[in-house]
Amino acid sequence: MKLGIVWRTGIAMALIGVLASGLTGYYGYTESRALLQSAAEQRLLTATRVLARQLSVGLDNASRDVLMVAHHPGTLGLLQTWDSQPPNHRGNTMAALFDTILRTHPEYFQMRLIAATDHGAERVRVDRSEEGLARIFEEDLQEKGHYPYVIETLRLPPGAVYVSRASINHELGAHAGQHRPSLQVATPVHDAQDKVLGLIVVNIDLDRLFKQLAADLPATLSLYLSNSQGDFLIHPDPTLAFAFDRGQRALVQDAFPDTRKLIGEQVEDGAQQLVTLQAADTPERALVAAFVRQPIVGLHNEEGFVIGLGQPLRAVLADADQLGRTSLRIVLAFSALAIVLAALLARRLSNPLQQLLRALREFGHGSHDAPLPLPVTRHDEFGTLARAMAEMQTQISGQFASLALKQQELDRLASHDALTGLPNRRLFMDRLTQALARARRNQSQLALLFVDLDNFKDINDSLGHAAGDDVLNMMSQRMSVLVREVDTVARLGGDEFIILLDGADNRAEITQIAQRMVEALQQPVVYQGHVLNCGGSIGISCFPDDATDMTALIAAADQAMYLAKQSGRNQLRFASTQGGSEVRSGP
Amino acid sequence: MRTLVCPHALSRRLVQLRRSLLRLGMALCLPLLTSLPHMARADSDTPVLRVLAWPGYAEPEVVKEFEARTRTRVELTIVDTDEVLWQKVTAPSGPAFDVFAVNTAELQRYEASNRVQPINTNLIPSTERQQPRCRQVAAIPGLVRRTAKGEQVYAIPFTYSAMGLIYDKQQVSIAPDSLNALWDPQWHGKVIAYNGGTHSFSLAAQVLGLPAPFRIPQEGTQAAVAKLIDLRRNALGFYTQPEESVRLFLRHKAALMFANYGMQQVHLLRAAGVNVGYVIPREGALAWLDCWAIPRNARNVPLAHAWINHLLGDTASGLLVTRQGLANTVSPIDQSTSSGNFIWLQPVEDAARREQLWARIHSGASLSKVLAP
Repeated sequence: MKLGIVWRTGIAMALIGVLASGLTGYYGYTESRALLQSAAEQRLLTATRVLARQLSVGLDNASRDVLMVAHHPGTLGLLQTWDSQPPNHRGNTMAALFDTILRTHPEYFQMRLIAATDHGAERVRVDRSEEGLARIFEEDLQEKGHYPYVIETLRLPPGAVYVSRASINHELGAHAGQHRPSLQVATPVHDAQDKVLGLIVVNIDLDRLFKQLAADLPATLSLYLSNSQGDFLIHPDPTLAFAFDRGQRALVQDAFPDTRKLIGEQVEDGAQQLVTLQAADTPERALVAAFVRQPIVGLHNEEGFVIGLGQPLRAVLADADQLGRTSLRIVLAFSALAIVLAALLARRLSNPLQQLLRALREFGHGSHDAPLPLPVTRHDEFGTLARAMAEMQTQISGQFASLALKQQELDRLASHDALTGLPNRRLFMDRLTQALARARRNQSQLALLFVDLDNFKDINDSLGHAAGDDVLNMMSQRMSVLVREVDTVARLGGDEFIILLDGADNRAEITQIAQRMVEALQQPVVYQGHVLNCGGSIGISCFPDDATDMTALIAAADQAMYLAKQSGRNQLRFASTQGGSEVRSGP
Repeated sequence: MRTLVCPHALSRRLVQLRRSLLRLGMALCLPLLTSLPHMARADSDTPVLRVLAWPGYAEPEVVKEFEARTRTRVELTIVDTDEVLWQKVTAPSGPAFDVFAVNTAELQRYEASNRVQPINTNLIPSTERQQPRCRQVAAIPGLVRRTAKGEQVYAIPFTYSAMGLIYDKQQVSIAPDSLNALWDPQWHGKVIAYNGGTHSFSLAAQVLGLPAPFRIPQEGTQAAVAKLIDLRRNALGFYTQPEESVRLFLRHKAALMFANYGMQQVHLLRAAGVNVGYVIPREGALAWLDCWAIPRNARNVPLAHAWINHLLGDTASGLLVTRQGLANTVSPIDQSTSSGNFIWLQPVEDAARREQLWARIHSGASLSKVLAP
């Protein structure tokens, strides 16, 4: 079925509604999603900055610890008098101090006092080991003068603190700290003449330090730490942390290309930060990550750190997903509303159209008399159209009515005598044919009365055709009133009439009718003061007695009429009694 | 004048109209398309070649070219000591390596413990480009072994250098002529040495005047350890990688350095703007010839052959010279760097023992602790 223009308009309007609400919903969603994502990124960045700050604080704490020990008067004394002291007691106080500090700082691997002399000989050393804290004695003490943290620290001015690069500690005998990610924080010990005599160094457990720093972070966040070259020091995947120590590179700028801005020597001083997105094979693994390059202020460090926090994009967008679902519901609701409204509108448009169409169709089918109602009371275009149609219908109906009248008149003219108004020969023949068929079927009878006026020619000749016409009219009326409604009085032409008596089977009755007719015809007619005496002769034939076909039946009646006329006027005569039963009537 | 719109122009306008409608439609549909999930890339099927190489051997360009040519992925691991190399190749767990670079002396250690497999030189057509001296593999100790299947090649020469002395011409006016300069108190805290056991003991043996630096007798161990403790006490620091040595040299203004990587370090230092000299000491310089070998447990042997073939190509050979200052095996041999008193590395009496002792020495242990069982 082809869709009408109304429905097409309706569908178009519904589509426009759906599209408008869909696009509004979509762009609203994307905008809000961007805002939500931006807010989440800001939160992540803030958390990262807090973490970076905490790292600074953690290093500050360590630097305070080493400075506190370095400034302790016993430290200098110990270094100055080391060789003169009895081996069994020297350094006990210092070791007890180290022990206390290590106990309160589980993130420290070991704490040492190292001399600037004797090739960086360790003087006092307390290590964290599997069994707890252990002081290292005499023979197990080592020379560390060739390690960068010793060389670098001994060069520093009094009160300065050195922070080493983060590395895996491969120094043998380092107990718990051996082969573990470590960071050395150290400060030199000077005498009154500012001569450097040694250094205090603490080894920090990098993993533990960050475990403490990140303890309050949600479990969904992943922590990244890289050195200023970008080498990962902490990574959720342990195989990527300190990869350089295993001969491989795992770089933050490879995993998060945007972090190139934070890596390298050209980066400006001061804290730098950025938020980046890490695409992944699957959307579930995509990350939003914030990175902060944290310079270590106030400490002498070889390099800074880049700290990052990653959060699954899914988690960041969880709120946005909720928003998306809500938007989708709103869009669906408004789309449904748009469809319903479009359907209602289409219906409102289609109803008057349908009404007009039905009326037009009905009108076309010919019910002109009672046309279907049109929406003529409407004030819109449909009302105008309906009124125009109603006017047109009225005109057409009027023309049809006059046409029908004319048709009726024509029909009457074709089947009736113009003068008398009686059925003419043609109509009579029709009726006779039908009556004969009926009679044959019902085995009933009928009779024909052939009437010819007497003296008519004389009247016509003497008083004119008008008088003749008057006589003909009068005679016609007299004959018509004498027969039943079912019977037919017809004028054959001139002064000849024929009468069909349908179902007449009683000769006496027929005779009676004919007799009355003769009498009626005999009555004078007054025309413009003249009394005109006319009269008529009647021949009667009966079916089926006289003939069974129409022509013969008429001929028989005609013959009988002729005989009646011959035997004097105002006579009637049956065809079956030719020459015999003549009936005389009149006075 | 009347303008007639010919049917052709009309249809062109219709086409334009349709195009702009199409564009509008695309603008409307674009947000829907862009929200489609990204197509996941399937690269897990790419074959992987696991390479163990020394710094500067497999430069990024070389790796990228190989990956593009063979549609594979290279997983590169850099080693900086013979000990680490041995540990990685012989690691009982973890994915096996497919190809590794090793010097001829160490190679024999791998051969002896059946850790390498023969190389099919037919799969390495680039060997045709090598200098005649490098192609005569049978003349180079350790490269060819006689097996039940006849003589088989176990490694393809790649690069070579000697471990001379680097000195800062500004601080050291007279070029040192002996390895003893490393122990010279004049340069205390100005000496940089290599953090590796095998070579350090050979160095100590040379200085001690032992007849065979690669065969330190049991009774010579203590003297060698003591000598190396002395070196530690005279040293500013130790390095394993060329870049690390350069960093140390620059940061601490070193005067003297034992160049384990030879010309490679000279090249890097000069590139960093340091006016350094390079000498072969009178005791002779330990010289190494690094080769590519394929571990017995390699997973992708054909690809390993392709790698070796690629590393003898123009890119790799060219970068060895221009970027690392090392020799390659395809260019004509430069007599100035190849002449001199070279002592080609040989298998040592007990590499594991040397490394163990060296780790203790480097950690700062005393003589008795180093020699402790």
